[in-house]
Amino acid sequence: MAYSDKVLDHYNNPRNVGSLDKNADNVGTGMVGAPECGDVMKLQIQVDDTTGIISDAKFKTFGCGSAIASSSLATEWLKGKTVDEALQISNTEIVNELSLPPVKIHCSVLAEDAIKAAINDYRTKQTKRVPVAEAVA
Amino acid sequence: MESNCWNCGASAPERFCADCKALQPPPADYFVFFGLPAQLSLDGKELEKQFYALSRQLHPDIFARKSQREREYSLEATAVLNDGFRVLRDPIQRAMYVLKKQGLDIGEQGTRDVPPELLEEVFDLNMALEEMKFGDEEARTQILGARERFEGMCKEIDGELKKLFAAWDAGHDAEVLTEIRGLLNRRKYITNLIKQTETA
Repeated sequence: MAYSDKVLDHYNNPRNVGSLDKNADNVGTGMVGAPECGDVMKLQIQVDDTTGIISDAKFKTFGCGSAIASSSLATEWLKGKTVDEALQISNTEIVNELSLPPVKIHCSVLAEDAIKAAINDYRTKQTKRVPVAEAVA
Repeated sequence: MESNCWNCGASAPERFCADCKALQPPPADYFVFFGLPAQLSLDGKELEKQFYALSRQLHPDIFARKSQREREYSLEATAVLNDGFRVLRDPIQRAMYVLKKQGLDIGEQGTRDVPPELLEEVFDLNMALEEMKFGDEEARTQILGARERFEGMCKEIDGELKKLFAAWDAGHDAEVLTEIRGLLNRRKYITNLIKQTETA
């Protein structure tokens, strides 16, 4: 199957590969997997405490080219967005941007789920640390 | 089969019409096709016996001088025969087939049906594999150890599946089927990993 140029670009030059400190309070980690193909994707966001804007995003994906491209693109889009804006990113936008064929749509779903899981993790940490943050302020 | 014979109109024809002996269109369901109970624990010998018996009955050569329609049905039947045999003889493929029939298609599930501990483990092993590509000897030992562990997990899963297959056959409890799907997901991840340790 032929990959689109954009998929190939992300696959050959993946953006933001790496990891952030998963124990940091302002880092959210999402780990998701697609059982039918055995892919696994880790996506992390770092949120600026004062502005609430995602200042950094990293990923590491073990899977096919489309899964790598979907998560690479997702990290690009995440940076500079607020958490609420980030939640609006949908898999169809990823499909359109990368021209993914129908058999690869699940890769974009994986990326969307990873974003949601990372935000969920970040928010869970935030609710836990609220009293501490107020005490400091 | 519930319809009438396409050739003479006799009611309820089987594989061949009892009246005019014409070959009927093959049933799409593999269990029905092989005349076996729709069970997850299947007698492999019985399946094989049926496979050879049906191969002899349905071979396209036998229908070379028959009507166009019967020639087509024998081709269709041969396709179902081969596909069905391949799926039913393998316990994992057979289970996936039953799941699909029951509306639990393994390919159409969400990404959240995998336990997080397994994902962590899969992720770490993949990282180790990647390190190995740069010639880190320590990672190699790690991978060999992990591979043994994964093979052990796979055996454990197969044992559990066997028990669940029997449980499903006994009561057709939908929960058992969901449990089976969970185990098949897990198994898929683990067999993938074993494959990757082989190519690393």
